[in-house]
Amino acid sequence: MGSILTEYLDSFIRGRDDKQLITIPLVVLALSLLVSLVVFSSTGAPVKLGLEFEGGTMIAFETQETAGVLEQAYSDYSLDDARKAGDRAILQFGPMDNEDQKELEKDIISKYSNVEIKQIGALYGKELQSQALKAMVLSFIGMAIVVFLIFRTAVPSIAVVLSAVSDIAIAIGFMNIVGIELSLGTVAALLMLIGYSVDSDILLTTRVLKRRGTVNENIGRAMHTGLTMTTTTLAALVVMYIVSTFSYLVTSSASQVNLLSDISIVLIFGLVADIMNTWLLNTGILRWHVNRSNPRGRRA
Amino acid sequence: MREEEVNKGLKSDLRVWLLIAAVLFSVVMIHPWYSSEEGATTDLNYGLDLEGGSWLQIRLQGAVAQLDADISQTVPAIIESVIGSSIDVKSVTGHTGSGYSSVGTTVVFTTDAYVSDLQMDLAGIGESDISYSGNTSEIILYTNKQTLITQYLSDSLDAEVIPLSLGDSVEYEIRKEISQEDLQVLMSAVDGSILTEADGTPIYREGVRTETRDLTRDILSDKLNSLGLKDIPVRTVGEDYILIDFAGTDLTTAKEIVERPGKFEIRVQTQGNETAHVLYGDGIEKVGVVTFHDGQWHTPFTLNEEGALALQKIAIETGATNDPNSHWLYMYLDDNEIYGAPLSYSAATRLTEVPIYSWEASSGPDDDSKSEAEQLQIHLRAGALPVNVVLMGSGQVDAALGAQFKKQTLFAGLFALLAVALVVFRRYGKKEILLPMVGTSICELIMILGVAATINWQLDLPAIAGIIAAIGTGIDHLVIITDEVLYEGKLPSKKVYLERIAKAFGIIFAAAATTTIAMSPLVVMGFGALKGFAITTIIGVLIGVLIARPVYGKVIKVVLDEAQ
Repeated sequence: MGSILTEYLDSFIRGRDDKQLITIPLVVLALSLLVSLVVFSSTGAPVKLGLEFEGGTMIAFETQETAGVLEQAYSDYSLDDARKAGDRAILQFGPMDNEDQKELEKDIISKYSNVEIKQIGALYGKELQSQALKAMVLSFIGMAIVVFLIFRTAVPSIAVVLSAVSDIAIAIGFMNIVGIELSLGTVAALLMLIGYSVDSDILLTTRVLKRRGTVNENIGRAMHTGLTMTTTTLAALVVMYIVSTFSYLVTSSASQVNLLSDISIVLIFGLVADIMNTWLLNTGILRWHVNRSNPRGRRA
Repeated sequence: MREEEVNKGLKSDLRVWLLIAAVLFSVVMIHPWYSSEEGATTDLNYGLDLEGGSWLQIRLQGAVAQLDADISQTVPAIIESVIGSSIDVKSVTGHTGSGYSSVGTTVVFTTDAYVSDLQMDLAGIGESDISYSGNTSEIILYTNKQTLITQYLSDSLDAEVIPLSLGDSVEYEIRKEISQEDLQVLMSAVDGSILTEADGTPIYREGVRTETRDLTRDILSDKLNSLGLKDIPVRTVGEDYILIDFAGTDLTTAKEIVERPGKFEIRVQTQGNETAHVLYGDGIEKVGVVTFHDGQWHTPFTLNEEGALALQKIAIETGATNDPNSHWLYMYLDDNEIYGAPLSYSAATRLTEVPIYSWEASSGPDDDSKSEAEQLQIHLRAGALPVNVVLMGSGQVDAALGAQFKKQTLFAGLFALLAVALVVFRRYGKKEILLPMVGTSICELIMILGVAATINWQLDLPAIAGIIAAIGTGIDHLVIITDEVLYEGKLPSKKVYLERIAKAFGIIFAAAATTTIAMSPLVVMGFGALKGFAITTIIGVLIGVLIARPVYGKVIKVVLDEAQ
């Protein structure tokens, strides 16, 4: 499957001019930004914030009772949401005072088994928000500086950074569409995406700028390697997503490992976006740059 | 013949031996073991989310600021509520600046009410001389601005305020949450303000001093671990947070443990081994900072009215005032003796006349005595924390659930590795490439776990996500090396091979550098779960790039040569 994709993409790239290549990912990027902007204008954040950033309580436990019954039972405690996955119930509560919190915890711990509780104060959530934001911004600046130091030319460096920005923006847009909240896990995923994104971009840029042969040849070879990299990673992530999310369908005693599930699904979509951004956006810009400075398309 | 040469090539390579040594060392550190009683065990530490337990994260509330106030306004603000009538400040002489000075300030004021020595002592702002003429009392107060501001804030906020002189300026630590605006309003009431830097930014920050945070941590740690339960680690996180992990304890119990105050008691020896109760921890009003004077380390503490009266009464009844040496005072925390000493003769004599509020427990002249005094400072608080704390976050994972997470994570990892192997095999169709590639990944995994075991790093779910990220980029890098070596489809000569390997590592180092830099803000900022994630990712990437992947570059050439 990987090789079919490679061949198709390769002939696609050879057959189109740079503008056409760049347009497709830019349109997708614009759409993603639009989605995030709409979310931002209604909630004040570019993606729905999860428990860790918003504050509140998540309690999960094993029970045969239905979500409806549980919803009834805990409606006194500012219950936001109750759902079931296999034998596990997951209840989400808004912020509450310490006494209520203790009472609720005591009640659930005494009644149910395999309890998981996560409670984040609203203030702490705010602080985590600003720290996560700072970390993302700093990560990005750091990454951009390293990329510029590596290539020491403006256009290729900008192309790499832009691809990474686009990967993350599209992943966030996807989170909005599918309804995945921003949690510490998904922040981690977005940061991992920087690493994965830059890997294939650096490969591409190095091969195109520093190898003999025509630009299209070099792109083709880089793509051969790059797509292998991305498909192996994707394969691992898909498996991880399935195991961490759907094990309970096989054995009802299994539970979702939310952190791994969130990280893998966000990375899966980020990497699919990365295929597009590396081989259309970055490639398009790079090819334009090389042909512009060396119209014969060959390097001595 | 050819094979021998090849093997020699690998054997003479230092990096190969380094990898082997690192992997062996890691295996020893991880110490995987199987016994019929315990099943499979390792020396790896798992986080609470995999091991089961609960955690509490608390924030210390407070503010640190540099302040100024008008003395002629501050003195009435403090005194009038004590004597219950208005005063008239006649003069303020001496040092009046906001900074620290060893020269005191003398304030003279008059009032229509009768003012007693006791009232002035209670106000706690310095020595005073009182004279009366008719209905008017005239008081000469020897004080300083630092004491006045401290007392003013402490009275208005009903909170402990600790001044600290920083060379020529004074910083006030208010051990209660107060916003900059509220503090400004409070200071304006006495014609004062929050001081500003040269550029105009107010010298105010939320939180407490590092020393106070550490003291709070030590008190908590001391209290929780004196309960004789499992070892309960208490750590500071960032500037103002403290994180407490309770392995194997549910959240309800954890909260009860933290909230239960320690029981502090002072008893006095009556006869032989018998003692009588004097006061509990609620009789202590304040615990001071350990000081050294008269050749001894001292822990100062202040009793409140009830405590001071109770101590006076029982000291007289038992005869401790007449014969201190056979009626020692003992302090107990949770029924364990923590300190014992006789009354000093001067104190014993004074006690026969008046109650004594301010006490000092002396411990001796040497360094051991100093730590003993510091320990006592913690114990005297009986688990009462020096600052207000609020619960910021908490969580729990049942042990059974943790075990299940562990199992599922292991499965996810194994299956993911299988999926990678499958893709790689489909792509290259050669087990000569597949085996070294998967082998290298497994070596990287073992080494990361080895580092974790060596530094006692706790593996929680985010850390495992970090390991997955490192292994994931690792596979990417191995693909780059393989394709570079096989560039244009055929195996190159030695010279070309070396060139290509150099190119491959150019790409790999660049990619690793960006990943490391991108992760480093998380390590430095150090908040919660993501710190562990970032650290394991960076460790994994470094191990991969520096130890494992260079060897793969060697091995892949040798193995492919052999296959041809």
